[in-house]
Formats: sequence, C-alpha cells, structure tokens
Amino acid sequence: MTPADRARRRAVGSAIALSVPGMLVLLALFAVPLLRLLALSVEGGSLTAYEKALTNELYLRVIFETFKIAAIVTFFTFVLGYPVAYVMATSGRIWQIVGIAFVLLPFWTSILVRTYAWMVLLGRNGVVNRTLMGLGLIDGPLPLLNNLSGVLIGMVHVLLPYMILPVFNAVKKVDPTLVLAAEGLGAPRWRAFLHVTLPLTMNGVMAGMTLVFTLSLGFFITPALLGGGRVVMIANLIEEQVRELLNWAFAGALSAILLALTLLAFWGISRIMRTRPA
Amino acid sequence: MTLIKLNRREIMVGAGAVALTARSAFGQSEPPKPKQIVVNASGGSMNTALRKAYFDAFEKDTGIQVVETSPVDLGKLKAMVVSGNVEWNLTEIGGQDGALVQRLGLVEKIDSKLVDRSAYPKEAKSEYLFASSVYSTVLAYRTDVFAPGKQPKGWAEFWDVKRFPGPRSMRNHPVDNLEYGLLASGVPADKLYPIDMDRAFKKLDEIKPHVNVWWTTGQQPAQLLLDKEVVLATGWNGRFYDLMKKGAPIAVDWTGGSLKQGTFVIPKGAKESYWAHKMLAYMSDPKRQSIYANELGYPGLNLESIKYIDPQAAPHMPTHPDNLSKQFWLNAAWWDDNLEKSMERWKQWLLKT
Repeated sequence: MTPADRARRRAVGSAIALSVPGMLVLLALFAVPLLRLLALSVEGGSLTAYEKALTNELYLRVIFETFKIAAIVTFFTFVLGYPVAYVMATSGRIWQIVGIAFVLLPFWTSILVRTYAWMVLLGRNGVVNRTLMGLGLIDGPLPLLNNLSGVLIGMVHVLLPYMILPVFNAVKKVDPTLVLAAEGLGAPRWRAFLHVTLPLTMNGVMAGMTLVFTLSLGFFITPALLGGGRVVMIANLIEEQVRELLNWAFAGALSAILLALTLLAFWGISRIMRTRPA
Repeated sequence: MTLIKLNRREIMVGAGAVALTARSAFGQSEPPKPKQIVVNASGGSMNTALRKAYFDAFEKDTGIQVVETSPVDLGKLKAMVVSGNVEWNLTEIGGQDGALVQRLGLVEKIDSKLVDRSAYPKEAKSEYLFASSVYSTVLAYRTDVFAPGKQPKGWAEFWDVKRFPGPRSMRNHPVDNLEYGLLASGVPADKLYPIDMDRAFKKLDEIKPHVNVWWTTGQQPAQLLLDKEVVLATGWNGRFYDLMKKGAPIAVDWTGGSLKQGTFVIPKGAKESYWAHKMLAYMSDPKRQSIYANELGYPGLNLESIKYIDPQAAPHMPTHPDNLSKQFWLNAAWWDDNLEKSMERWKQWLLKT
C-alpha cells in the first residue's frame, strides 16, 4: 500500500465518519416517515390501492402529464437560465453580486406570493394583456392564465434559480485560458463556446436539470392556482386524497408510485451523465 | 372506641362545606378555566365575523382567550385524532363532510344539556354536528354587463351563452355543479336525487368551453368577477354579499341556489370539552347569530335570530322567504355515498379534451 493509497483510505474513512450525524438526521426525519407512508399504502396487507392507481385511466394520464410538464419546465429553465448564468459568471465582480441578488431575492420570497403576483400580471385584464393591447400589438387578451401556459410560466419562474446557480458555479470553474486557446487557434467565439465552455459546464447543467425536473414532479400550488382547474398534476390528486377524501392508503400508493418514478428518472439522468464521453 | 364528637367550630365548617357543595351543584360547577381555547375556521372575513359575534363576548365573559386558526382542513383533523394530539377545541368542517367525519369517528357528541338548540329546525339538530349557519352556492353576475331586464335567472340561462355571452367561472368540484347541470337540463328541484350522473355530465359538456376558471377557493369567484376576468360565476353567497356591500357592480340570482349548513364539530379526544360546548352555546344564541348574519350574509339556524336581522341585510340572506323558495337543499347523504366516485369522474371529465 503506497502512502497515497493510505491517505486516500483515511480520507474516505473520515468522510464516512463526518456523514454519520447527517445520515442519522435523514434516517429519523426522512427514511422513517417514508417507510410509514409505504406501510400506509398497503394497509391491511392489500395492494388494491396500487391496483387502482395503475389501472385507472385518470391516474395514469395525470402521471404522464406530470412528467410531460416537468420535462417542458426543465427545458425552458435551461434555455432561459443558461445565458443568465453565463453572463453572470463571466462579468465583473459588481455585476456578479447584482446578478446573484436578482436571482436569490425571488428565491427567498414565498411561492404563494409569487404565484398570486402572476395572477395579477397574466389575467385577461392583467398588466401584460393591457400593455400589449395598449400598444396595439393584439386585439383581444391572450389566454395566458388559467391554462397550461400560466402553469409553465409560474413554474419556470419559481425554478429558475435551481438551474442558474449550478450552471453559474460550473461556468466559474471553466479555466478562461482554455477559451482563449481555442480562440487563439482560430475558433470563432460561438465555436469556442460550443466546443469548450458548453461541454465543460455540462455537469452544472445536469445538476440543474436534475433539481428542476425532480422538484417539478411534486408541484401543486402553482398548477392549482394558475391552471384554472384544467391542469392537474399528480401532487394535486394526492393532496385531494389526503385532505378531502381522507383515503390515506390511496394517497400513500400514489406517493410511492411518484417516488419510484422519480428515482427511475434520477437513475436515468445519472446514467446519461456517466456514459457521456469526457 | 371513641364516639365522634364534633365541637361547635367543626360543625360550622361542615355546614359551610355542605352549603358550598350545594351551590356548585346548582348549575355552577364549571371545570377550571384554561388560558385559551383554539377554534379553527375558514379564515378571512368569516373569522372577523366570528370574533365580532361570538369570540369577543366569550373572552369578555369567561376570561378565556380564543385563538383562531385556519383554514378548514379535514386531513389535519384526521391526523390530529389519529395521532391523539388534538390542538383544536372546535373546528369548522365543509358542508358536505358531516357524514364522513361521523363515519370515521373523528368527532365528539354534542351535549344538548350544554347547548340549547330547542329553537332549531329538527333537520339541524344532529347529535354530532353543530349547524352554525346557512350558506348557499348561487349564481352571480356583473351588473354593468347584464343591465336590468337582461339579467340571467337560473341555470338554464347560465347555460345560455347566446343570450348571456361572456366567460364564466364554476367550482372545480362535482358538488353543486352536477345539480346545476340537471336543473339546466330541466330536472325539477325535488327530483334531483339520486343524481343521474350521465345526464348531468352531458349537460356540463355544453358549458365547459365557456368556463374560463374552475375555482378552488371561496374567494376566487368573487375576485374574478371584481377583476372582470369572468362576467358570470357560481360562488358562496356571503363572498358576493361582501363585495355588494362595498358597492361592486355585482348581483346575485337565487334561482337554483344550493343550500348547505355551515358546520362546527368538537374533534374526538379534544380537551376542554366543557368550554368548547360553552362556545357552541354562544354560537347558538339568536341575538349573536344575527350579528354574524348581518356581517356575512350567513344566517344562523336558531329560528329566533331572524327577528334581529337588519332589514337592509335581510334580502341578502339565503333563508329570506323570497330566496328560500327558489333554492334546494344539498343532499349531504347522497354526496357522502358518491363523493369519491363522482370526484374521479369529475377529474376525468375535466381533463377530457
């Protein structure tokens, strides 16, 4: 065993030791309630709750819609968030602080407040429609609220920081001399970005996408308030079972299915990351 | 063995003790007062009215502080009872959930010795449920869009998008809406139950494209009308009454309104049961009920309270004779049997394109 091996082993050992308190907290506050939830879903030793969830057209359709919405939201947070993170990371110190403040301030504001703000902005007589009509750009109000577009706007807004922050971090870590070298070898700026910066920041992008995608799957306030009743995500159905129908076994089964599918998605994303050529 | 000899002083003390016991047995044997009791209700303007009509007086008379929490949450009630950690001494529940909470054993019996409901109609004297007030889900519209003489009356006209054009809002729930569909398709009010779901949903198909918002909270339809997001809406009469009092161009049509009882219960295993009952006694008082009704438009079930209602507010009460005859009582028993099934079908119907 070389000294380097020994050092590595020691580092691993102390990492495990350091993680013990955190793991205990997770076990008590997360794993135990989760197991109780699973126990609830097979109340009386029967799988009828699962059978109902997996054979009823309604629940299958809502699960599918939930994943579809999560994918669309993830795509838009990437398209909108990456440029912001890139500009923030590559500009001067002052602008960086200003940028971070602009990203974090809404991040710390209650999701309910932000959702209500969108209701004021996006309504038929809301600020956006009145402005566009005042400018003569549209004749009648655009249907921005109480449908899928309202939900997507609200969700992308809430989740953008989860994309921007990891990407910002990744762009900061890219050695600027690599980009200079690419440009020095004759690559135009866009090409240097596409072949040097973007691949090197993919880890940050993947981290952001994973966060945004998994968080999206559990959304329920935004679809309930901005969807006008037309957009139903799986969390809305779980909430209804818990609070209105008091069928906790079925709520437990729906939650377990959502958890299993989320883990599956998580596993899929990590596989894509691992098989990606370095 | 010595005979028990009582001296003069001992006799005096003994007699005093007997007198004390006798006095407290005579209706005054109140258990010790807690610092506070917790009453859970819908919140917003409703809690303001509860405070004005009942809580302030209760606090003043008993010295017990009334802590208000909200919103109404059946899931939380079940969690409290199941875990044995009941924080609420009294809670409101939804008008259609009375049978459900009894079936699941989530509520205590109401002691009729402590809460006098002799002036209540017999339908409102449940063993487990305290009927606090009457409310109705009614049709409301903008009066600047529909001028007098051209105003919608009843559900057939709510459905008539040619004569009454404009976006609408209805509740995101099968309760009331199935009944409205049947009424719009010509079913008489006394033949609504058992509900013919196929017929109701078929009629709802017609209105669906004209409903902009399927509302989930009671304040939504009022706000949507106020912002002119919609020009016709269904909603709880008190929320519209509140806006009308403030001069908003909104009016209510009572035809086909769906009457329900606002309900309070004592959660199973709740502490300070005596003082919860005492609060219910305040809430059954006819004069206090009229204060609540004048404020909110939700009259109490104590039939004597009608005498004390402000004549200006009376036409806005669902129980006003002119209004009462136009409406129907929601059949809570039918809904208890069919809630899960109809909610599933409702969601399926809503998502269908």
